[in-house]
Amino acid sequence: MSRRYWKSIEERDGGEDWLPADRDEFPEPLAVLPDAPGTLGRRGFLKAAGFGLAGTLAAGCQRGPVSKAIPFLNQPEEVMPGRATWYATTCGACSAACGLLVKNRDGRPIKLEGNPQHPLSRGGLCAVGQASLLGLYDRWRHRGPLKRGQPASWADVDADIVSALAAIRHRGGALRLLTGTIVSPTLSATIGRFMATFPNARHVVYDAISSSAILDAHERTHGRRALPRYHFGQAAVIAGVDADFLGTWISPVEFTRGYRDGRSLEGNPPRCSYHAQFESGLTITGTKADWRTRIAPGEEGPVLTQLAARVARRAGLAWPAGDVGMPPVPGAPLDDLAGRLWAARGASLVVSGCQDVAVQVICNFVNHLLGNYGRTIDINRPSYQRGGCDAALGELAAELAAGAVDGLLVAAANPAYDLPADLDFATLARRVDLLVSFAGSPDETAALAGYVCPDHHYLEAWSDAEPAAGCASITQPVLAPIGGTRAIVESLARWMDDARPAYELVRAHWESALFPRRIPVEPFETFWDTAVHDGAVELQVAPRESAASGTSAPLPDPVAAGAAPPEGALSLVLYPSVGQLDGRHAHNPWLQELPDPITKVTWDNCASLSPDAAASLGVREGDVVRIETGGPSPAAAALELPVYIQPGQHDRAVAIPLGYGRASTERFTRAGPHWLESQPGVGPNGLVGINAAPLIVFEGGTLRYGGRAVRIAPTGRRIELATTQRHHSIIEPRQVSSAGSRPIVREMPVSALSAQQPPPGATREGRGLWPDDHPYSGRRWGLIIDLNACTGCSACVVACQVENNIPVVGRDEVRRQREMHWLRIDRYFTDADESVDVVHQPMLCQHCANAPCETVCPVLATVHSADGLNQQVYNRCVGTRYCANNCPYKVRRFNWFTYARADAVENLVLNPDVTVRTRGVMEKCSLCAQRLLEARISARARGEPARDTDVRTACEQSCPAGAIVLGDLNDPASRVAALAKDPRYFQVLEDLNVRPGVGYLAVVRNRDADPGKAGHV
Amino acid sequence: MSDAAALPVREPLILGDKSLAEVTGDICRPLDARPTALWWAGFLASLALLGLGVAAVSYQIAVGIGVWGLNRTVGWAFDITNFVFWIGIGHAGTLISAILFLFRQRWRTSVNRAAEAMTLFAVMCAGLFPVIHMGRPWLAFWMFPYPNTRGSLWINFRSPLVWDFFAISTYFTISLVFWYVGLLPDLATVRDRTRRGFRRRILEWLSLGWNGSYRTWLRYEIVYVLLAGLATPLVVSVHTIVSWDFATSVIPGWHATIFPPYFVAGAIFSGMAMVLTLMLVARSTMGLQHYITGRHVDVMCKLVIFTSGIVAFAYATEFFMALYSANQYEQFVFRNRALGPFAWAYWTMVGCNVLVPQLLWFRRVRANLGLVFVLSLAVNVGMWFERFVIIVTSLHRDYLPSSWAGYAPTSIEVATLAGSFGLFFTCFLLFCRFVPVIAMAEIKSVVGTPARPGKDL
Repeated sequence: MSRRYWKSIEERDGGEDWLPADRDEFPEPLAVLPDAPGTLGRRGFLKAAGFGLAGTLAAGCQRGPVSKAIPFLNQPEEVMPGRATWYATTCGACSAACGLLVKNRDGRPIKLEGNPQHPLSRGGLCAVGQASLLGLYDRWRHRGPLKRGQPASWADVDADIVSALAAIRHRGGALRLLTGTIVSPTLSATIGRFMATFPNARHVVYDAISSSAILDAHERTHGRRALPRYHFGQAAVIAGVDADFLGTWISPVEFTRGYRDGRSLEGNPPRCSYHAQFESGLTITGTKADWRTRIAPGEEGPVLTQLAARVARRAGLAWPAGDVGMPPVPGAPLDDLAGRLWAARGASLVVSGCQDVAVQVICNFVNHLLGNYGRTIDINRPSYQRGGCDAALGELAAELAAGAVDGLLVAAANPAYDLPADLDFATLARRVDLLVSFAGSPDETAALAGYVCPDHHYLEAWSDAEPAAGCASITQPVLAPIGGTRAIVESLARWMDDARPAYELVRAHWESALFPRRIPVEPFETFWDTAVHDGAVELQVAPRESAASGTSAPLPDPVAAGAAPPEGALSLVLYPSVGQLDGRHAHNPWLQELPDPITKVTWDNCASLSPDAAASLGVREGDVVRIETGGPSPAAAALELPVYIQPGQHDRAVAIPLGYGRASTERFTRAGPHWLESQPGVGPNGLVGINAAPLIVFEGGTLRYGGRAVRIAPTGRRIELATTQRHHSIIEPRQVSSAGSRPIVREMPVSALSAQQPPPGATREGRGLWPDDHPYSGRRWGLIIDLNACTGCSACVVACQVENNIPVVGRDEVRRQREMHWLRIDRYFTDADESVDVVHQPMLCQHCANAPCETVCPVLATVHSADGLNQQVYNRCVGTRYCANNCPYKVRRFNWFTYARADAVENLVLNPDVTVRTRGVMEKCSLCAQRLLEARISARARGEPARDTDVRTACEQSCPAGAIVLGDLNDPASRVAALAKDPRYFQVLEDLNVRPGVGYLAVVRNRDADPGKAGHV
Repeated sequence: MSDAAALPVREPLILGDKSLAEVTGDICRPLDARPTALWWAGFLASLALLGLGVAAVSYQIAVGIGVWGLNRTVGWAFDITNFVFWIGIGHAGTLISAILFLFRQRWRTSVNRAAEAMTLFAVMCAGLFPVIHMGRPWLAFWMFPYPNTRGSLWINFRSPLVWDFFAISTYFTISLVFWYVGLLPDLATVRDRTRRGFRRRILEWLSLGWNGSYRTWLRYEIVYVLLAGLATPLVVSVHTIVSWDFATSVIPGWHATIFPPYFVAGAIFSGMAMVLTLMLVARSTMGLQHYITGRHVDVMCKLVIFTSGIVAFAYATEFFMALYSANQYEQFVFRNRALGPFAWAYWTMVGCNVLVPQLLWFRRVRANLGLVFVLSLAVNVGMWFERFVIIVTSLHRDYLPSSWAGYAPTSIEVATLAGSFGLFFTCFLLFCRFVPVIAMAEIKSVVGTPARPGKDL
């Protein structure tokens, strides 16, 4: 019982109106003057000022948002912030001229994709095409014309050139135009018009990666100097002799698509062509072959002769007359191949990349015997993708040597770099009075030229292309030229007093020359609009009478003994690498950092030797060797290159990629982060790699890339190659490597495929002990990759890099195993009879349902979405790297440094939908979450559920072989759900029960069932 | 706390027939005198190492974690190796002070103070690495489960790194409190010996008004026993949880149920070796031969060889399990460990942790203090390599051979490791200068033997 205390009587008695003093000190209102209405009183002012100050301070405590987001004063038509616009155009990255769709955001192109309506590329795009976008934003491009190396105005340069040309024209001097293959009909026509104004002018076409011998051979056998179109999709038996048709040969995207169609494994028995490949080095084409045989460089002739003899015998033809001796390859399989070819008459294909015309004639002879002309080989509707004539190049060199050339214009070619030392172009070109280069960016030839009239990047220019007869496409600009460049076609027209812009020139040419070939007839306006909108149109090809079928041609001479080097000697194989081709994109860091599909070397070229050859020379990987060409020839040259040990290569071959050692790669000296122990990004010569082109031989009227005898001696120096897959992983001490097989890739013979039943669906996703963390009641995104279709061409790698703003880290970082590619292509070798089998496996985040990475992140920076994505939250990541350690697939990539560069021009290529990651955070494949989201938003706007056909990841879109399929695994009608029931379906490291959302389809080899071969690697 | 059960034949724990005043005098001498040249030399060398480490870490934080030799496959190497190494070193202190206290191992009184200090400094060194190994160490506070304004953003209680955070912070807190409580009577002794001044004022404040009364002692003894009881499970838990960083992962070579006992035994092993190293140095440089005797060294050597046996057994079990599991990844990892590119590290570890300690079976070796010192150093090296082997050899070649990689440390990483030793020794040398390195209050209870009690004051 508490006692009550009181202070006064009033309180004790507590009337109604008594207020205790401790409850309200001032019972009556204080005499505070009320503020006049509409004025701010003293207190109000202080409150407002205090709040304002505090607010300002608080707001100043964080990094402000980008403050330069200025709205358009006049919004351009078609530009909608945040909305992409797509334009159809034509790829100008090489002469294959694939169809493109260009994604524009805010008026700038940010991504190139294959145009599905293009009849050649059919939606695929190669790595080089994907990467060529960055060339547009290259800061080092010519900004305007140069006169003797100094910037000048177009008027000035035009005046000089016009007067020089007039002088040549006047005195009948010799004008030569040297170009690479030109697929643009308008440019060809303009060149024709231009050359016609000179009494002595000639247009010489050559290709740095020449196929001239094929054209020459067809001139001999078919009376028409043309490159036929090859239809790999219609071939049931394919024999390739030194032709990397899936990698770099002529039109790899088109061929890959066709090749994959021929091996689609659809139907019963499964459709699967048989592919035999004879080659010296290892190419990605060879890795896909069912029977791959190593031949020495220069043995292409004997091999084809032997094959031709066997086919001829079946055709009842006594050819050749004499004895051709023993084949350089095992006879029995060769017999078998000839039998298969013969059995598939009219649906077989023999191709050769050999640059010996006599060998190509035999190749044509075989195809003729097999009845392939008109079926798998179309000479009536030829390809214009390689038009070079090496003989003409030889004549030009002779003229130059004789000092008989007064003016030389060089376009779309870099002869000072990519021609053999025999021709010595650089020295000869200096003697020409008027040397004009049209190079868009600095190169070796432009450095010699008196005038440089830089061409646009192809994304800035109006142009066109007809890569194959009857297949024409438009190249339209997707942004205004960044620098003061000018299209070649405009330059030539200007010098003929024709001031029309390229647009009008192209349109006029289409109206006059291409439109008449269009059937059905429609108004030109409609035709033009269709062409610009669709990107490609089909035209009629005038039938040619002259196309002799070859029957009248005399029987070819056998090539019994090739130029193969003697036993024990080494000879060269110079090849274009998938990323660099002839070196025209050497300035492109995406391509420099793209691991070669075969060697996995980046930022360097190397001399590949077979393991046996390396052992006999006593060299190890990375040892620098001196490669000397033999003979007293004045053109004897030497290179010093690091050795790369390549299984599957012929023991007498030294394979060296071309396209390296380009001037302008010195810019990569400081590519990548700089710190205490960082190494320069270039080799000892200050460039990326070493130019092997001087070792090309000019012989018999063609450029020969293989067969030159060389001597090799170790120099004692070593270079650590920047490879993305440690090569010594396959030359492990036996006691370490003899562990059992790992369930990583699967192979099966085609016969097993037709016999095999689909596995019952219930066994794959068995119930675990615990309830599912992620029941996926709605959608579950998944990706299925067909390893049988995958050729390893690496288009997906670059597509992913472009789409997802993946940084380039430079040679030193790659050497430290810190490449950032979200999608890599793993390459595994297995021993085959006399070669190696190779499996390419695109490896990316597997989006596991039981993801090991998700449980270990202390801050929940990697989490699972309801629709099956393993998501990385960049701004939550603190960078413990625990997730990467715990990832069984090692697909997570860490930002070791600040890799983003402050390059205002180059950064225009960044995808605004994807965050540019800062230092110290983890990143990985998001399954193109931004695309999934966009599809979902647009589907919601349409009021229907998002279907997997609405959206494709960047890798899937780019794949020329259609090997990658995205979809909803929970939707029984989706493509992925159907593929997941395929007997070839498997998951990598399935036994870990991480339940990946990415699955694979096994490789199928068209071989007889061999229980020892099928199964895991 | 005289123990009637002590056998009269037993050697006394403290030699030299000391009186209690002499004990105080001996132990407080370094605190009263000016530092020796040797101390200065050691201190400056440690400070230089610490400076090097600070420079290395500052550089790394300024430039990026890329200045370490890590790569896409090997995401941890020196950083977590150092972390586990130091945590392991930090184990002996609590073991000696808590478990041996509860087991009434009275020889511990000579070494427990220094061992506990060593624990604190080692845990401080260890605690640095989880922070600096982050890609964005300035966001390390996100590891704390604190209410925040980022929506429902919280930490991931499934992550062993979060468990680590709790385990280590608990361990550090308990160790600090335990050490400080044990220090109270000695601080009071030092206070009483100090003339009025700034130093005395600090000591007065630090000794919490200790007055040596019966009640104070009673409270003290109760708190000490309770804290010892609290700390005992931590000896086991901390390294168990650290081992879960590895054991709960899917990486072959990490994913093993043997890890918790294996790590705890290894930690005690390395901690004992470090105590031996430090005590042998302190004994000869600080004139404590009468307090840290051959008997102490002998007992600790026996603990070392015992834990070495456990560690060796764990090594063998790992190989056996790899064989017995028929798991090819597991088998590969262990073959790769013993024969692969890091075989040198593996065999260094085996040599230092299994072979070298076998010498301690011999009494002559245990009595040779110089040799024991060398052996203890070898064990420290071996235990560092054990963590390196576990972390790097398991990571560098795991499931997909395409991603196999190598690893080599950069100069920055080596400097960071050196810096952690600099921090440790700087702290330890300061400790020797400012705090009694031997628990005077406790050791006075074991002066002499029941048969021949120590001289009176």
